[in-house]
Amino acid sequence: MTADTSSDLRRKSRQLIKLIRPLLGGIVGLFLVYRLYIVLIVEHPYGPDTWTRLLIAGLILGGVYSLVAIGYTLVYGILFMINFAHGEVMMIGAFSGYFVFEALNAIKIQDSNFLNTYAYFSVLIAFIVGMTVSALTGYFLEKIAYRPLRKAPRLVPLISAIGASIFLQNAVELLFSPQLRNYTNPTFLTRGAGWTININHSNVIIPYTGVFSFVLSAVLLIILYTIVRKTRLGRAMRAVALDKKTAALMGVDVDSTISKTFILSGALAGAAGVMWGIHNGLVYYYTGFIPGIKAFTAAVLGGIGNLPGAMLGGMFLGIVESMGPAALGIDFQLKDVLAFVILIVVLIFKPSGLLGESLAEEKV
Amino acid sequence: MTDNIIVTQQVSKIFGGLTAVNKVDLEVKRESIFSIIGPNGAGKTTLFNCISGFYTPEHGEVLYEGESLRGKSTDVIAGLGISRTYQNIRLFSNLTTIENVLVGQHYRLKENWLDAVFNTRRYREEEKSSIEVGVRWLNFVGLHGLGNTPARSMPYGAQRRLEIARALGSNPKLLLLDEPTAGMNPQETLEMTTLIRRLRDEFGITIVLIEHDMHVVMGISDQIAVLDFGQKIADGTPKEIQSNPRVIEAYLGPGGAALAKKYSRKK
Amino acid sequence: MKKAALRQSFNTGIIFGIAHIFCVLIAFNAMLGSLLVKIVGIKSSATTPLASALIAYAVLLGLWAGITAARRKREASGKERLQASLITGFSVGLMAALLVAVFQVLLSDKINPRDYLTNLSFPFMRACLFQLGAFLGIAANFLIFFLSSFLGGLFVFIWNLPAVTSAWHKAFSAPKVWIAKLRGETGKQRRITNIIFYALLFAVIAILPIEWGSYWNYVMGTVGLYVILGLGLNIIVGLSGQLVLGYIAFFAIGAYTMALLNAPEPHNWMWGFWPALILAVILAALSGLIIGLPLMRLRGDYLAIVTLGFGEIIRILLKSDVLTSFTGGPRGIQDIHGPTLFGKPFNDIDYMYLIILAVILAIYIYNRLQHSRTGRAWLAVREDETVARATGVDTQRYKLLALMIGAAFAGLAGAIYASRNAFTGPDEHSLMASINVLCLIIVGGMGNIPGTLLGAFALKGLPEILREVENYRMLVFGALLVAMMIIRPEGLIPSQRPTLELPEDSPNPNPPDLAVRSEAKPTGEDPHDR
Repeated sequence: MTADTSSDLRRKSRQLIKLIRPLLGGIVGLFLVYRLYIVLIVEHPYGPDTWTRLLIAGLILGGVYSLVAIGYTLVYGILFMINFAHGEVMMIGAFSGYFVFEALNAIKIQDSNFLNTYAYFSVLIAFIVGMTVSALTGYFLEKIAYRPLRKAPRLVPLISAIGASIFLQNAVELLFSPQLRNYTNPTFLTRGAGWTININHSNVIIPYTGVFSFVLSAVLLIILYTIVRKTRLGRAMRAVALDKKTAALMGVDVDSTISKTFILSGALAGAAGVMWGIHNGLVYYYTGFIPGIKAFTAAVLGGIGNLPGAMLGGMFLGIVESMGPAALGIDFQLKDVLAFVILIVVLIFKPSGLLGESLAEEKV
Repeated sequence: MTDNIIVTQQVSKIFGGLTAVNKVDLEVKRESIFSIIGPNGAGKTTLFNCISGFYTPEHGEVLYEGESLRGKSTDVIAGLGISRTYQNIRLFSNLTTIENVLVGQHYRLKENWLDAVFNTRRYREEEKSSIEVGVRWLNFVGLHGLGNTPARSMPYGAQRRLEIARALGSNPKLLLLDEPTAGMNPQETLEMTTLIRRLRDEFGITIVLIEHDMHVVMGISDQIAVLDFGQKIADGTPKEIQSNPRVIEAYLGPGGAALAKKYSRKK
Repeated sequence: MKKAALRQSFNTGIIFGIAHIFCVLIAFNAMLGSLLVKIVGIKSSATTPLASALIAYAVLLGLWAGITAARRKREASGKERLQASLITGFSVGLMAALLVAVFQVLLSDKINPRDYLTNLSFPFMRACLFQLGAFLGIAANFLIFFLSSFLGGLFVFIWNLPAVTSAWHKAFSAPKVWIAKLRGETGKQRRITNIIFYALLFAVIAILPIEWGSYWNYVMGTVGLYVILGLGLNIIVGLSGQLVLGYIAFFAIGAYTMALLNAPEPHNWMWGFWPALILAVILAALSGLIIGLPLMRLRGDYLAIVTLGFGEIIRILLKSDVLTSFTGGPRGIQDIHGPTLFGKPFNDIDYMYLIILAVILAIYIYNRLQHSRTGRAWLAVREDETVARATGVDTQRYKLLALMIGAAFAGLAGAIYASRNAFTGPDEHSLMASINVLCLIIVGGMGNIPGTLLGAFALKGLPEILREVENYRMLVFGALLVAMMIIRPEGLIPSQRPTLELPEDSPNPNPPDLAVRSEAKPTGEDPHDR
């Protein structure tokens, strides 16, 4: 090949590559519009009662995803790394809640047990224990697997995070067996029970557990937002996220701030885990993995490092995951695929997310 | 072919609210040594990055041999004959010295992966010739016999010279050096300036440098441009720059010109 | 002993104690113990372990604790080392004793924790007390850890005695000198010994598949396929620095191509082994290109997650009922026909030879690429992508090339795997399999061939041989990944750049293709014109 044709080819292939992204975007967009049209306008497989059910499920799921997504975003904002093991932190919280409920269920009081006699208190204990254990897990995770690697090239802590994730999953599996554990809820939070409303001659249940999850998620998110915006710790976190060195020079204890960030994000994940257990009932060692990735998708969707973005991204993903397969007329088995596809699409077309700021060009 | 190898026309680079480089015009003559100086934060490296294609300026054009560099990616720019070094040395640390220089020659070579797998003649010949060329460049910058040393274990001064050898691998017409004598003692600095002069004299390479060491700048430059707060405040020969009051004030602050005058009389 | 040192040794013991408790709760002690006593021929089960097995494990852990404690400070005196190991032994022993004390309480009150902590059956807990009653069992636990920790400290003490150190150095360096002499002094001699070595190796490899039986053919065959996978992933991760987590997807593409083209169900397209093999490699490479194109701009961690997503999407699609008619669904594809040699279908020995040939091919290609312009370009991209591009490397093209070639390797391995097993299904191509390959190259040594061989054998071969470890394999992998990143990120066998033969100093340091100023100015021929 002479020099001319090789550089010509190079130029042509570069032009071709530049076209690929908009082309892909166009194909995906067209497909979506087509499917939505078919389902919503042509056929009407589902009535408003089903849509309402899906929406409710989506909101509940969204709340959980938001809580976990915040954890990813906080850690990324401060360390620029993806805490791959965050899903496992949530799973550990779920297990802690399970054990608390089991223990309280076993304590006999008159002809009932502790769990149902002091129901509200039991739930409180479960959450406190779950959040504490998860917070501690997050703390030790950072101390053992991430802190020694602060100065390493970026792939090294990521691999360490993957290793930590695998380790935690398998540790829980070996300790407590791979068997699915069933949450014993106190009576006022029985799964499946709730307020009924009648839509389209069909009873749509608004589950107690769901409302509880959603309200608690909202409360925790508000508390977190206040912490980040108004307290000293929040200011320290934002300072370290913006410029570690300068924050240190200004007297911020960087190590302690980072630890506290992990503790905070762990606590939120723990709460999400207990909520998951209460609402969905079944937990086992793999419970955290897929929700973890989805929560990460939500964080990226909203703009990684961006707090309100993570919250919105979580809600958005929950609703889309719940209503998406029905709206697009595809098999419900593929709802996980939907989340992954969203992740890939966002990262290809708008890596800074919907609300995020674009990262500065690389300093040379 | 115009007389100027590289020209920047009203180049501006803006980051959010900060205008790092503000409407800078430069004309660099072929086969000259051109220095860019100015206080810290004046925008020198940013300007460098605009010239070498790392940044795309918001306004203005960078013309190389009369053609605009806008939109060209850095590897294409390297192929056009512009090479550079970096302020904080960015070598390929885990490669050996000779391998760094071989990567420098990458664009000029044609051997591809199929040649490598099938051990074709092109592979054998290019490996041999590129190594020879590489060794010669290493010798030229003064790194005799250090070909197989890992780049990360070289001492600081040698690493700076290696970076230059790597930049030379692509037979550049224009070499951009970002603070080539930073951290060097007088002896090393002298060797570096000799090297830079030789590059111009023996190979006809145009050199643009960013420098802080005024002896170096005044000693080897044909032309100097001074930046302050992103703007060019002076442009001329070393003599002109030395007596330019605006330049003195940029470095010493307001009233500096008078101060300098006062103390220069007492030589 | 100084207070700080005291506290440090005590804390070391606490850490070991926590690790011990964890190991007991996951029955790791039983597994390890059974491995240890297996060496001397005693059989011990994992669920009802022999006391001797657990004692062996305890001694080992105690020794390690003592050695760690004694080595904490490098300039410590002998006495300080012994003291450190004693303190550590004390705290470890204390925690071990506490644990079995709790066990004793559970045993005497007949409380069975098995519903929650699955490994704590009554027989297991009794074994942890070494089958001695309450008091003796607890005391024995304490003493064994305490004493073995002290032994560990003693070992370090003796090791650091000047007489021992020098004797060891002499002993160590002697074989090295000897081996160097054997290899030969001059280049020519070394080449001859290399040839002899490889000839012997070749002879051994040629004979083994016939001699060692189908079990070993299966195990080593799998190891061989993982070597190919490791080399392929090494091209992507080790050489060009792109962390790809869904690598097994390419393996799946190769496997399914072979399967779909050689099985009666679901399509009965019987194309034969060799055409399917070639197509598998090509399809895998193409999918590397297709998947890579949109991802070229992504940064390291994002690329990892997205490739993980791709891998999972492929697995979910394969497993779902949606594509069953095309891909066979969750059951997979059975009864894949293999190649025939002179009319006879391949048996396990033939497959082994095939795999050996494939491995040799993969090693050859990898080696040639490593030492070429392409390999160096990849390494430059890995080291500093921005600078590599500014130095003239078309980074996008080379990253895609690495993906394609790496994917091709995986496709080859997948096709052979499916053919040999006569079956493939979606569960074989999970994220865990990708992580297995990643673990293999990280632990063995990123970017080099001996490291990949070591990693494949250690991480695939050993668990096959040591069946007991199977349950704990992923746990150990996870811990290994973290540990390796902290202690030795370059892997067990670090990559070393080759020593190139450099021409001697030339007296005239002017490279010939640059016009020298004293000669005439360049004519119309500009050396930079392409």
